[in-house]
Amino acid sequence: MKQRNLIAALVLLAFSGGYAYMTANLPDRGIENMTEPSFFPWIVTTLLLTLTSILLVQSLLPSQAAAAWTLSAAAKSKVAQVLGLFAVYVAVLPSLGFLVASVPFFGGMMAVYGERRPLWLVLGSIGVSVGLFYLFRLGFTIYLPVGVLKGMI
Amino acid sequence: MDAEVYQGFLQASLPTNLLATCIGSLLGLVVGMIPGMTISMGIIIVLPLTFVMDPGNSIALLLGLYVGGMMGGSFSAILLNIPGTPSASATALDGYPMAARGEAGRALGIAIIASFLGGLFSFLCLYLIAPLLAEVALQFRSADLFSLVFFGLTIICSFAARSIIKGLLSAVIGLAIVTIGLDPMVGTQRYTFDQVNLMSGVHFLTALVGLFAIPQLIDNLVAPKADAGETGAIVRKFGSVLPSLADLKAIRLPVSIGSLTGAFMGILPGAGGPIAAFISYDYSKKLSKKGAAFGDGVPEGIAAPESANNAVTGGALIPMMTLGIPGDPVTAILIGALLVHGLAPGPLLFIEQGDFAYSIIFSFFWANIFNLFIALASLRLLVKVLALPRSLLMPSIALLCVVGAYALRNNFFDVYVMFFFGLLGLAMRWLDMPVVPLLLALVLGKPLEEHLRATLSSTQGDVMVFFTSPLSLLFLCMAVVSIIWSFAAEHRKRPKPST
Repeated sequence: MKQRNLIAALVLLAFSGGYAYMTANLPDRGIENMTEPSFFPWIVTTLLLTLTSILLVQSLLPSQAAAAWTLSAAAKSKVAQVLGLFAVYVAVLPSLGFLVASVPFFGGMMAVYGERRPLWLVLGSIGVSVGLFYLFRLGFTIYLPVGVLKGMI
Repeated sequence: MDAEVYQGFLQASLPTNLLATCIGSLLGLVVGMIPGMTISMGIIIVLPLTFVMDPGNSIALLLGLYVGGMMGGSFSAILLNIPGTPSASATALDGYPMAARGEAGRALGIAIIASFLGGLFSFLCLYLIAPLLAEVALQFRSADLFSLVFFGLTIICSFAARSIIKGLLSAVIGLAIVTIGLDPMVGTQRYTFDQVNLMSGVHFLTALVGLFAIPQLIDNLVAPKADAGETGAIVRKFGSVLPSLADLKAIRLPVSIGSLTGAFMGILPGAGGPIAAFISYDYSKKLSKKGAAFGDGVPEGIAAPESANNAVTGGALIPMMTLGIPGDPVTAILIGALLVHGLAPGPLLFIEQGDFAYSIIFSFFWANIFNLFIALASLRLLVKVLALPRSLLMPSIALLCVVGAYALRNNFFDVYVMFFFGLLGLAMRWLDMPVVPLLLALVLGKPLEEHLRATLSSTQGDVMVFFTSPLSLLFLCMAVVSIIWSFAAEHRKRPKPST
């Protein structure tokens, strides 16, 4: 955990530096008796830097190691698969549309969560995706993107 | 005032409102029951549906879900020894031993009745205290409001964090995110990178979906699964659900302790259901004649935590409705849901829309009533949900998260933001940094900045107003005590380094 704290402190220091740089470049409005737009962000910057410095010092001091969130190799692989599927899905959603993108995404997710029966994979992914699409469209008048199926549905 | 109470009752009792409350309760019972699903998660899933609903119906649905979820959590705790929600952890201590010796029906019945009584007591607290507190809060000036919001933020951080520094850092990251968008006082663009989508800032609900849902999907990948055979066996033979007269007599004291503790803990920002449940369990154990039998499966050991965690719900609604300060993630989401409908919780809600404020209170009452009847009538059917495969449930949740983020503003940008916050939530989990302070900073950050800057503008930069106003000084002192207390508690808990 100490090593993770050190990584967190360094990342947050970099973030605080960037945030401070952007805050310094915020325009001043010069309105009488009115605080500037950078007023509150400077407070946040100060707090960020102070707390990050404390975390950095804590991570360097000797102390009893605290329990950390750990995953087995198999679990890490599954986590990577879920996040990968999610990233691809989010990336292709605008062009493919909800229905076309959701069916393979749903099937992939079902497989990662342990479903192995092909019929269930096909029925589940098509059934839930189509069901949700029309539930939102007809039941709640929320029009999900149609993408490549524009003009067909 | 009386007219508003009457109007509020009528609004809450409209057929559409009652239907929404009823559906919410049913969904809540189901969501609460499924291990790995939290009430926050359930509310996030149904949120997109509420965007197109009338504000009254949408809050009724969410309140039903909140109350139902608290009760539902006890079902899996009793039947499987796996609490459906963290608040039901204490219920498993006596509930599961009772179920294991063939008294599952009796245990479930006691949990249902105790939850109902706890919820009803907290409704009375909400009905009686909220309007009075709102009137007091109306007297607050911007300096007092700043100090109050600041106090809310510190107490939440201290409760939510195992490491106070990480809890505070999480909150400050949230405050930094809040500064994205147009400056609330003079309208200058801040950290928008000339992106039109960022001009209105990061939407709280989008961030919330990512922060809670994606880590939850990952948790369910690695969490142990309930034994389907064991579930089936217990579900098949749980006997009568209605508690006997002797049981009702036995649970009087633990229900009283649980209701009082729960309602009080609910009012305190950050305390929440799990703490209230364990405290009331502990007190009941100490005060009960059967104290030594606690843990072996006694009705009193179920009644105390169950009445407490349901009493928390009404208590938590008090600061949310009167001060606009969320007590836990669920009330933070409820604030977000109200804001989507253009309604800002706070003392003005009772003045400007008193009938709506009372309709929320009475919807909470109906939610407790529906919960009782739905749970008693359909328990045998409801528990079959425990056998629902995760391979279907989790992908459905993933799809609903994407739909929820998109439907908020019909914008793909929000879907990307949701995914970004999901990754941030996972990174914070890896670093053992709590996400709740970040979430609450997203809710409280804007009023914090507005009250601070409004005060300084009105006093021409004189900060002494925060210390000369008695209320402001009181809240600031409480904030300081809260921070020092948290540091001291962390120091006491820390194991000594071996020499």
